[in-house]
Amino acid sequence: MKIAVLIKYVPEATAAWRFAGDHALDRDSVDGRLSELDEYAVEQALRLAEAGAATEIGYLTMGPPRAVDAVRKALAMGGDRAVHVLDDALHGTDAAGTSLVLAAALRRMEADLVVCGMASTDAEMAVLPAMVAERLGITAVVNAAALRVEDSTIVAERDTDDATEEVVAPLPALVSVTDRSGEARYPSFKGIVAAKKKPVTTWTLADLGIEPGRVGSAGAATQVLAVRPSPPREAGTVITDEGDAAARLADFLAANKLL
Amino acid sequence: MVLRIVLGLLMTAVAFAVAGRRLAMLYRIGRAAQPVEPGRTRGVPARLRAELTEVLGQRKLLTWTVPGVAHVLAFWGFLVLALTIVEGYGALFQRDFHLPLIGTQPWLGFLEDLFTVATLVSVLVFAAIRVRHSPAREGRRSRFFGSHLDAAWLVLFMIFNVVWSLLLYRGAQINTGNFPYASGAFASEAVARLIHPLGAGANDVIETAGLLLAIGIILLFLVLVVHSKHLHIFTAVANVGFGRRPRALGALLPVYSGGKPVDFEDPGEDDRIGRSSIEDFTWKGMLDFATCTECGRCQSQCPAWNTGKPLSPKTLIMGLRDHALAAAPYLLAEDKSKVDALAAAAAQTPLVGTEGVVHPDVLWSCTTCGACVEQCPVDIEHIDHIVDMRRYQVLMESEFPPEAGVLLRNLEHAGDPWGRGAGARTEWTDGLDFPVRTLDGERIPDDVEYLFWVGCAGAFDDRAQRTSRAVAELLHTAGVEFAVLGSGETCTGDPARRIGNELLFQQLAAQNVQTLNGAGVRRIVATCAHCFNTLANEYPQLGGHYEVLHHTQLLSRLVADGRLVPVTPVGATITYHDPCYLGRHNRVFTPPREILGTLPGTRLAEPQRTRETSFCCGAGGARMWLDETIGTRINETRTDELLAAEPDVVAAACPYCVDMLADGVALRQQQGRTGAHVTVTDVAEVLLRSVREPAANDHRRA
Repeated sequence: MKIAVLIKYVPEATAAWRFAGDHALDRDSVDGRLSELDEYAVEQALRLAEAGAATEIGYLTMGPPRAVDAVRKALAMGGDRAVHVLDDALHGTDAAGTSLVLAAALRRMEADLVVCGMASTDAEMAVLPAMVAERLGITAVVNAAALRVEDSTIVAERDTDDATEEVVAPLPALVSVTDRSGEARYPSFKGIVAAKKKPVTTWTLADLGIEPGRVGSAGAATQVLAVRPSPPREAGTVITDEGDAAARLADFLAANKLL
Repeated sequence: MVLRIVLGLLMTAVAFAVAGRRLAMLYRIGRAAQPVEPGRTRGVPARLRAELTEVLGQRKLLTWTVPGVAHVLAFWGFLVLALTIVEGYGALFQRDFHLPLIGTQPWLGFLEDLFTVATLVSVLVFAAIRVRHSPAREGRRSRFFGSHLDAAWLVLFMIFNVVWSLLLYRGAQINTGNFPYASGAFASEAVARLIHPLGAGANDVIETAGLLLAIGIILLFLVLVVHSKHLHIFTAVANVGFGRRPRALGALLPVYSGGKPVDFEDPGEDDRIGRSSIEDFTWKGMLDFATCTECGRCQSQCPAWNTGKPLSPKTLIMGLRDHALAAAPYLLAEDKSKVDALAAAAAQTPLVGTEGVVHPDVLWSCTTCGACVEQCPVDIEHIDHIVDMRRYQVLMESEFPPEAGVLLRNLEHAGDPWGRGAGARTEWTDGLDFPVRTLDGERIPDDVEYLFWVGCAGAFDDRAQRTSRAVAELLHTAGVEFAVLGSGETCTGDPARRIGNELLFQQLAAQNVQTLNGAGVRRIVATCAHCFNTLANEYPQLGGHYEVLHHTQLLSRLVADGRLVPVTPVGATITYHDPCYLGRHNRVFTPPREILGTLPGTRLAEPQRTRETSFCCGAGGARMWLDETIGTRINETRTDELLAAEPDVVAAACPYCVDMLADGVALRQQQGRTGAHVTVTDVAEVLLRSVREPAANDHRRA
């Protein structure tokens, strides 16, 4: 069984983000990384391979040239190969356009199982898994907390507020995993060295047979009108204990409708 | 006479064969080990000085008075008694043999007897110490806990035998008229008087039998020495000679493989990263293991051991030695298939693992405080071995306590252990009533005297931010122009390096060196003892050469120069805690005390363990970021030690110490075990209180 893992190169959460004139993030001004939520997807794929359920793990990313850093990071954790969809025309692509590109690439990769994170850590839309599955015409199981493969089906556990449900889907399928699915491994130096030798293939829109007009900001279904920094966090209220701290704390919580 | 010669030489031949076989095997283990990194023979004067002070002068042994003096007697006893061995062998051939030139002078006879008696005294003292501090009585508190006790008693018994057999035959020699010294040898003369009544014939027999017995015992002792921890009498000289100078503290060494530094950008195919098995250690490592005499001074000071954790530096080294010896037949065999099954099994035991030679809990308990290295009379380099084993675990196996993953990811992605990121690095300056000059990538202006290295704690930790503000205010008050890197600063890499992630350390350090060199920085002042150590001692390995001062050094200078004038009485008894990375690792003991000593209305109360023997707060070696689940907590133990000095203020000079001790004091206050008035703070904050006018303190509690 072949697994494809969707991974995304996202800007560092702690760094200052700058936006360019077209309201797109200025990727050159900020360091990037493999999305933390995607690390869980990588981890689940590797665990399936270690359990003997998968024979090959390939990664797929769409992003700027530096996205190859995220690819190398995933390859350092494990896996065999990677595909990087790189094309200037992709600048400004929205979620719908991204799913079009990823689905086209996944068709070429011929994976039996697609694993991805529950959301990206930058846009946090969490719609991409369902969109990709829809375009491929395969089952999507989202927000899985545990995964196993049983007789050409994928069994996923999903946590809800009051129960854990076990969902079974026939392969091929797409699964998105949560951050509760299991701590992602820390790549070893051995893994980092090995990753440098693993093949990373670059595909363009032409390779995938996608018209440039269907993606990018021109092909986007949505348009960003403005980008404003979020207001700075206001200082909290400090209650110094003068014997009545508990009562004042309770008053404060009540006044804010928290009690 | 013929009997004497034949028997004497026969015994010698057998003993030399047995001992020689053993020594050859030990030598082959050393040869099978990795080559050592360069520099082990560099700086000959310092090495000779170490031999003079530590071997001949027994400096480190004498830090413990009673056992130290006893060891001096035994050590010098054996040096002098070597003469009697020469005399003994001479007497095999010629009954009245004497050493050439000085061999009949009374002072030499006196000296020999004096040290014979001294050796006897030392044996008695050692025996008394072993009885008094036996593990049976003291349990884990005993420094001999975990040592090979039977072997130690056997050694003492053998030394005792050496002494009495020597005196017996010398006494008989006097009675038969063959003794080289007409007078001076008082102890031998006493024995002679004792056995004189037995008659000339008996004394004749005793002389020969005693001589053969004495030689036999010495030879037996030689065989025992090369098969036991007593090997140190030979290896200590070499171990001190090849040791890191001035001491194996301060900087950690880069990763070496085959004696060459590993290039992490382009590692060689066969590079061995860290230590995955016993043969990955260098021959100096093997020499360390062979030299350990199991005295347990390291164990007695180890913060991990003293708080009920499984790590003892002594049993760690002993375990590695015992494992090396057990695996040796396999490692040294030409044809591995013919090796004894036990040795093969030993050789295949993992070095680190729950079923391995070193349990992971042992490996991860070390705070790298250096108390063991400081104590070790034979200069064993415990920390280097521990970090080398961690390096393999982290870099090659990704095996480490899970909490460390958060630390490593934060360092990688945000450049600080808290994961706050460069953007927040100047938040600590809020509330200062003067601007702090921030380079933010610019070159350092000519009028700036010092780059203030704020450090991650100084930038993000609440308590340490107060220290940063105090130091900034003091420098500002003294008119010292300083600047900070601001968002250009990143973790020095200390916790990454000490947890074993050398790759991450190299990345962080290279980035900082590039920033500092790019800004033209020459002089740095740091408040964090760990940053201070890394900047001063480890960045030169990466081409970063700066004059680095700890803030207590700079502030004490400013006070001495009258640029800072403490006026306001502090009115407190202050107990100062020496941070390991400031004190033991870098020998900065005096400046913080000088600062505190000049403040009006203060009294300094030293804790029991202080200066070189200061006890770790528990945060070093990246332990700050790991859970402490085994035994009692190190910070509470140290807090209790400090509170025993009955201070009003516990002062430290490292943000991690301040954090750890403040937590400890807060807990004791909560438990009602210490007064609510006791505070924990950095030395700089106490100084600032005294430099400010009293009124300023009241409404400006920073």
